[in-house]
Amino acid sequence: MVTGYKQEYVYKHPWERVTSASWRKFADAENKRILSHILEVDMLNHSLDSSNGILRTTRAITVHCPGPWFVRKIVGQDMCHCVESTVVDARSRSMQLISKNISLQKFIEVQEMTRYDPHPDNPAGWTLCRQETSIRIKPFSALASMAEKVEQRCAERFLQNSGKSKEVMERICKYLEAESSGFSL
Amino acid sequence: MKEKKTSSKSSSSTSPCSHLRDAYNNCFNRWYSEKFMKGHWDKQECVAEWQKYRACLSQHLDDKLLSHFLEAEQIDQNHLSKPSNE
Repeated sequence: MVTGYKQEYVYKHPWERVTSASWRKFADAENKRILSHILEVDMLNHSLDSSNGILRTTRAITVHCPGPWFVRKIVGQDMCHCVESTVVDARSRSMQLISKNISLQKFIEVQEMTRYDPHPDNPAGWTLCRQETSIRIKPFSALASMAEKVEQRCAERFLQNSGKSKEVMERICKYLEAESSGFSL
Repeated sequence: MKEKKTSSKSSSSTSPCSHLRDAYNNCFNRWYSEKFMKGHWDKQECVAEWQKYRACLSQHLDDKLLSHFLEAEQIDQNHLSKPSNE
């Protein structure tokens, strides 16, 4: 059983600004309040290919994912550790991220792939964000009998959180725009 | 106001490193926007900040969890390196 969905979103900001915002998303206090499901984000690894302008990073993300009571009872915890791998190609202007859970894997697998590319209609000014999420309850896990319901709930929560995430991204983009036009702090 | 949520975190929390993390993130974000995005990718910066932060992490991040993270990373980085010419 797999539940998946795709989303597209256009930021009316250049790719450089949007990807900068993506790095800052979990950082400041105001954003932490909105993205309160994100408990910790830590950089584990990064490498720069200086001949090609390719940056690769790996971050650890701890997410608060309470879920309905019956799930909590089986799973026994309400936190989930995820790993996020990112590749930024500055020369071709692309950013790709893959996040997935590494804890609770015997029950559920969630993978989220995100790409930020210059928008084909306005490559210098806009950015297209494409996101694909898949949620899969492991067939023989204790959750299997209610897989559909759990996946559904999970998907709803993901959509809700990705809405918040867009809101935060837009806000940081505006801030960066103001900063670049002379209001540097 | 930043640290209000600490009580709900687990024992594997890396919050003891939060000051070093903030210092590194600030440096990284500045480097990303002001250098990397402007074509100056010849040099990785923030080395001192990274070393301090990393030393703290390796002390506070649970070993089992860390090895999990790094295994998953290998798989994804390989996966990501392929479809770059879309």
